[in-house]
Amino acid sequence: MPQFDPASFVSQLFWFGVFFALLYFAVVRPTLPKVGKVIDARETQVAADLDRAEAAKGAADTLRADHEAAMKAARDAAQAAVAQARDAAARASDAQMKALAARLDADADAAAASLDLARASARSGLEATVSELVGEAVAKLTGIEVTPADVSAALAQR
Amino acid sequence: MEQFKIETIAPLTVAGADLSFTNSSLWMLISLISVAAFLFIGTARPQLVPGRMQAAVEYLYEFIRDMLRENVGKDGLRYAPLIFSVFVFVLACNLLGMVPFVHSFTPTSHIAVTFGLAMIVFILVVIVGFARHGLHFFSLFLPEGTPLFVAPLVALIEFLSFLSRPFTLAIRLFANMTAGHVLMKVFGGFVVSLGAVNIGLGIIPLGVNVALTALELLIAVVQAYVFALLASIYLNDAVNLH
Repeated sequence: MPQFDPASFVSQLFWFGVFFALLYFAVVRPTLPKVGKVIDARETQVAADLDRAEAAKGAADTLRADHEAAMKAARDAAQAAVAQARDAAARASDAQMKALAARLDADADAAAASLDLARASARSGLEATVSELVGEAVAKLTGIEVTPADVSAALAQR
Repeated sequence: MEQFKIETIAPLTVAGADLSFTNSSLWMLISLISVAAFLFIGTARPQLVPGRMQAAVEYLYEFIRDMLRENVGKDGLRYAPLIFSVFVFVLACNLLGMVPFVHSFTPTSHIAVTFGLAMIVFILVVIVGFARHGLHFFSLFLPEGTPLFVAPLVALIEFLSFLSRPFTLAIRLFANMTAGHVLMKVFGGFVVSLGAVNIGLGIIPLGVNVALTALELLIAVVQAYVFALLASIYLNDAVNLH
C-alpha cells in the first residue's frame, strides 16, 4: 500500500501544512467571523423584536382592560341615570295625580256646598211663598187675616 | 492500490527533503480552492436576511458552533474557526476524491495527511489545556474519586489513552476512506471480470457499485463529522477538565 511508504510522508505533510495554514489564516479567518457577526446580529434583533412584540402585547392588553372598565363604568352610569329619570318621572306624575285629585275633590266639595246653599235658599223661598199663599187662602176662605209669620210658626209647631 | 499511488507532478527538493508537488498536493489544493470559493462567495456581502450561498455557509458554520456549544460549552465557540477549518478540509478532500473520470485522488486516504490533521487537534488540545489550567491540566489523567491504590494504574491508562488519541483519529479517517475506496475498486474489477464471462453477470457488481458509491458519499460526510465531533470532545477535556 502506498499509504505506508514513508518516502512521500514529508512531502504530504509539508503540502498539507501549507494548504491547511492557507485555509485557516487566508480563507476561514477573514471570512467566517463576518458570518458569525451577522448571525449574532440576527439573533439579537430577533430577540429584541420578540421583546418589543411582548411589550406591545402587554400594552394592548392593558388598553383593552382600560377600555372594558370604561365601558362598564359608562354602562353603569347610564343605567343609574335611566333609573333616576324613571323614578323622577314616576314621582312627578304621582304628585300631579295627587294635585289633580285634590283639586277635583275641592271642586266637588265646592259644588256640593253651593248645591246645599241653593237648596236651602230654594226651600226658604218656598216656605215664604207657601206661607203667603196659605195666608191669602185662609183670608179668602175664612176672612181671618193671617200673617205669614203666623203660618211659619204654625208650620214650625207641627 | 493504483488509486492511492502518489505521483510527482513537480519535483522539489529542499535541504535534502523531498517536497515534490504530487497528485495528493494537487487535490488538497483543489479542495482548498473549492472551500475558498464557497466561503468567499458566501460571505462576500453578509446580509441579515441571507442569500443562498450565505445561508449555506451559515448552515455549515452553525453546525460546527452547535457541536462546540453542545460538547464544550460557550467557551468552546472561540475555537469554532479552527474546528470548522478541520471539518471543511476533511469534507472537501473526502468528497472531491469521489469525483469520477478526472483521475481524482483522496488525500485523506493517506495516513500522513490524516495524521497531520490529528496532530493539529492534539496540539490544540495540549496548548489550550495548559493555557487554561497550567499544571492542573495533568489532573485530566486522574478522574475524581479514584481510589488511591489504583491511582497510578488509572493515571497510566488515562495518559496512554490521551497519547493514543491522534493515532486513533488519524487511523479512523484513513482506514475508512481507504477501505471504502478499495471496496469500490474491487467491485469495479468484478464488473470487468464477470462481464467478460457474460455481459448479464457484470450487471450485478455494477449495481452493487452504484449502492457502494452512495454509501461511500455517506461515509465521506460522516467521517468528516466524526473527526470534527471527536475534536470537539477532546477540546472539552482541555477546556473543562472532564
